[in-house]
Amino acid sequence: MKKGRILPIYTGLVIAYLFIPIFVMALFGFNDPVGRFNFQWHGFTLEWYRRLFDVEELVIGIKNSLLVATVSTFFATIFGTLMALAISRYKFRGRSALNLFIFIPMATPEVVLGVSLLGLFVTLQLSRGFLTLVITHILFCISYVVVTVRARTTNLDSNLEDAAQDLGADPWTTFWTVTFPLILPGIVAGAFLAFALSIDDYVISSFNAGSTITLPLWIVGASRIGVPPQVNVMGTLLFMVGVLYVVGAVIAGRRKEKLIAPPVLSKG
Amino acid sequence: MAEATTGRRGRGLVAYLLALPGALWLGIFFLIPMVTMFSLSLQEGSFERGYVFTGRVQNYFDALSLYDTQLYRSLIYGLIVTVVTLALSYPMAYWIALRGGRYKNLFLLLILLPFFTPFVIRTLSWKFILADEGIFLGTLKDWGILPDSYQLLATPTAVVCGMIYNFLPFMALPLYVALERLDPRLLDASNDLYSNRTQTFLKVTLPLSLPGVFAGSLLTFIPAVGDFINADLLGGVNTTMIGNVIQREFQTNLDFPTGSALSFLLMFGILVGVFIYARAIGTEELSG
Amino acid sequence: MNDRIRMQDISRREMLRRMGIGVGALSTTALLAACGVSGQADKPTPSGSDGGGLAGQDPAGQLDFANWPLYIDRAQGRRPTLEDFTKETGIEVSYKEVIDDNESFFGTIREPLANGQSSGWDIIVMTDWMIAKMNRLGYLEELDHDLLGNFAANAGEIYKNPTYDANNAHSIPWQSGITGIGYNPKLTGREITSMNDLFDPAFKGKVGMFTEMRDSMSFALLKNGIHPQDATPEDVDAAAAALLKQRDDGIVRDYYGNSYADALLREDLWITMAWSGDVFQLQLDKPDLKFVVPDEGAILWVDNMAIPKGAEHPVDAHMFMDYVYQPEVAAQITAWVNYICPVPAARDILASSDDKFTQTVAESPLVFTTPDMESKLYHYKDLDEDEEQTWNDLFNQVIQG
Repeated sequence: MKKGRILPIYTGLVIAYLFIPIFVMALFGFNDPVGRFNFQWHGFTLEWYRRLFDVEELVIGIKNSLLVATVSTFFATIFGTLMALAISRYKFRGRSALNLFIFIPMATPEVVLGVSLLGLFVTLQLSRGFLTLVITHILFCISYVVVTVRARTTNLDSNLEDAAQDLGADPWTTFWTVTFPLILPGIVAGAFLAFALSIDDYVISSFNAGSTITLPLWIVGASRIGVPPQVNVMGTLLFMVGVLYVVGAVIAGRRKEKLIAPPVLSKG
Repeated sequence: MAEATTGRRGRGLVAYLLALPGALWLGIFFLIPMVTMFSLSLQEGSFERGYVFTGRVQNYFDALSLYDTQLYRSLIYGLIVTVVTLALSYPMAYWIALRGGRYKNLFLLLILLPFFTPFVIRTLSWKFILADEGIFLGTLKDWGILPDSYQLLATPTAVVCGMIYNFLPFMALPLYVALERLDPRLLDASNDLYSNRTQTFLKVTLPLSLPGVFAGSLLTFIPAVGDFINADLLGGVNTTMIGNVIQREFQTNLDFPTGSALSFLLMFGILVGVFIYARAIGTEELSG
Repeated sequence: MNDRIRMQDISRREMLRRMGIGVGALSTTALLAACGVSGQADKPTPSGSDGGGLAGQDPAGQLDFANWPLYIDRAQGRRPTLEDFTKETGIEVSYKEVIDDNESFFGTIREPLANGQSSGWDIIVMTDWMIAKMNRLGYLEELDHDLLGNFAANAGEIYKNPTYDANNAHSIPWQSGITGIGYNPKLTGREITSMNDLFDPAFKGKVGMFTEMRDSMSFALLKNGIHPQDATPEDVDAAAAALLKQRDDGIVRDYYGNSYADALLREDLWITMAWSGDVFQLQLDKPDLKFVVPDEGAILWVDNMAIPKGAEHPVDAHMFMDYVYQPEVAAQITAWVNYICPVPAARDILASSDDKFTQTVAESPLVFTTPDMESKLYHYKDLDEDEEQTWNDLFNQVIQG
C-alpha cells in the first residue's frame, strides 16, 4: 500500500533530523583544527580521544555535574517518592492543594525559578556554590519525580497488599516486600529523569552556581572563545552510552517476547 | 486517571509525615523565594544606595512599557514553537502509537536518545551548522541558490528553529502516550460507521488525543516563552526574549525590582495564554 | 596547539634569576628579612585587614584567582606560569576563567561584598573603570606595596599612579589593551580606516559591537568626533542615538562579549569592535585578519589585578602579583596572551628569543605600543554614579532590542 508509506518515511525523517546536530558534533570530534576554534575540517585524528582529559576545566565540570546530579537525585527521589505515596494512596485535607503546589514549579519558567532562588540566597547571605546548586537542583527535580512515581502508584492494585496483610504481614513489611518492588520501576524512572534534568541544567545553575562550574556552564563559557574538540568527544561518548542503553533495552525486550508463548503474539 | 485510595489507611497522619520533607522543601525553596521576589518587585532604589520596600506598583508599568516588545515577542515565539512542534510531532506520534507495533518502544527510545547529549552541546552544534559560510549555508551559496548576504544565525528564524528542535520531544511524548491509550476497537468501529479515514481521524482520534495535545502544548509553551539560551546562542539583535532581559536585569544591571516585576509579568502572560487555550479546547476533554 | 614558548628558554632565564640577578625574593623568610620588624601584624580576619599589616605573615598555600579567558599562558592544557609559581612558592592556584565582562562578573560577587563577606576570590582582574567603581564602594583591599617590590622596580612608568587608582593603592596592572576595529579585508573588500566604517550600510548585518557599555558608547562618541573625556550630556545622547540608528538600520549583527572573535573567524562578522590581543591571536588561524586604530581614535584600557575585600588568602595574592612582575614571567605571559605588557623590560627578553613567533610579538605595535598610536588612544571617561546610571539606561535601550 503506497499510501501507507508516507507516515513511516516522515517519522524516519523527523527522527533523523533529531540526530543531525549529534552527527555533526561526533564528526568534529575527529577533526584536527588549526587554531583554537574547531569549525573547519582539516583532517582526521583520534588525538582528542587520547587526550580526552587534557582540558582540566572540562574534567572539573564533569565531576561537578556528576556530583551535583548524584546528590540532588538522591534527595529528590526520596522526597518525591514519599510525596507521591502520600498523595496517591491517602485521603487527607489539603491533598488537592498539595497536588497543585507540586505542579506549579514545573509550570514556572526556569529563569524565574533561577532568579527567585538567587534572591533567597542573597537574602540569607548564602554564598553561591555547591550547596546552593544542590538545593536548586533538588527543588526542580522533586516535582518530576512525584509525577513519574505517581503514575506508578496510582495504578497499583491494592489487592496485592491486602493479600499480604491477610497473610499476617505488618504494614512495614508489606511495604518493603510488596509495595516497594512494585513501584520500584517508577522510582527508578523518576531517579533517571531527575539525574538527566540535573546534568543538563543550564539556566537555573547559571544563577546559583557561584564558582562551582558544571558541565553545561563551562561549555557555554567555552563556546565564547572556542570549544575544544574534547567536548565533542565527550558528547559523542555520552551519546554512545545512550545507544548502548537503547540496544540493551531492545535486546531485553526481544528476550521477554520469546518467553511468552508465540500464539499470543500474532495479532493477525 | 483513577485515584486509588485505600480507605482503611485513611489516617491522615501518615500521609502528612510522608509528604512533609518534600512539601517543606518546596515551601522553603519555592514558595518563600516567590514571596520574596514579589516583595522585591514592589521596591525601589538603586543598587549602590540599596532597595527599600515602598509598595511601588508603578514598577510593573515601568517594566512593561520598557520591555513590552520583548514580552510579546516571547509569547509569540512560544506560540509559534508550540504550533509547529505540534504539527511536526503529531503525524510521527500517531504512526508510532498506532502502527509501530513491536517497535513502539524502540522509536520512543530513539526520540529520547539525543537527550543523552547535553542540550547546550546540541544547540552549539546547530550554531555551527547554520553558520553563514558553514557546511549548510556555505554550500547553498556556492551553488548560487542563496544570495551571499543571506544569514540564518542572529535572526528570529534561527532562534525559533532552535527552540523547535529542543522542544520537539516534549510535544511528541505526551502525544504518543495519549494516542497509545486509544482503544483500537474504537477506531475500527468508527471506520465501520464513517466512510473514510479522514472522518475517523477528525471525529474520533483527534478529540480523544486532546489531553495529550494539551499536556504537550503546556510542556512546550511554558519553557519556550521563558527560554533564553536559544536567543543567547543563536540569536542576534532583534531576538531578545524576556528571559534574556530578566537575566540581564538580575545579573548585570542589578535592577532587582524591574527583574522581579518582569518575572511576574511573564508568569501572568503564560497563565493567560494557558487559560485561553484550556477554554478553547474545552475542559471536559482534559481530565483523563 | 598553542605551545609557543619553548620551555628551555624560560628555565635558562629562571636559573639566571635564581642566581640573584632578578629583583625581589619571594620566600617569606626573605620578606621578613627585607621588611624588618613586622612580627606584630594581626592575622587577617574575614572582614579584611588593612594593607599595612601583611608583611611577616605566612601564605596560606592557596590562591583563588578569577580571570578573563585566554589571559594567561597555556601549553598542552597546562598553565606554565601558574605551575612555575606553585613550584616556587608551594601555593596551589585555583584558576578560573569566569570573567566574560566586567558587569556580569561584578554581579556575581556584589552581594557577599556588600554584606561584608568574602567573595570567594583572592585575585580578580577588572578593567580600570570597574576598579574605580569598586574602590568607590570600598570593595577592594588596600595593597601592601612592601610585598610588591617587583612592581615598583619593573613596571612601566605610565602604569604607576593611574587616574583610576591613585598610587596603585588597590590594584596593579595585569595587561593593557586597545579596543579598536578588527576586520577581514577579503570580506569588507577594502581597507578600514575610520570609525564610520562600523556604521557603514555596506556592511549591513555583518558588524559586531560590544556589550561593554563603555567600549561601545566611547566608540560612538569618537565617531561623532568627541573625545570621551570631554563628552557632555548632549554628546552622550547623540552617541546613544547613533548606536540606536546603527541597530535599527540592521547594520549590527549582534552585541558581543568575548564571542566576537569566534564570529569574526567564522566570517559571521566582516568588521567588528575588537581587542588587540585577540586579533593578534586570530591571525594565526586567519592571517588575513587585520586590526586597526581608526583615525578618530580608539580606547586604551588597563586590566588590573585587585584583591576583593575579605579575601581569604591576601598574602598569597600579593606573592602572585609580585611574581608576575619579573621581566621573564611577564615576557612568558605576554608572549602567549599578546596584549600590552606592563613591564617594558620584557620586550628585550622576547626579542632575543629563538622562536620566530615570539620575535613577532616583541616587534608588534599591538603589544608594545608606538608613540604614534598612543596619540590616537584615549581612556574611558570617568563616570560617577549618576552618569553611569544615565549611560547604562541609554545603552540598555540599545542592546535590549
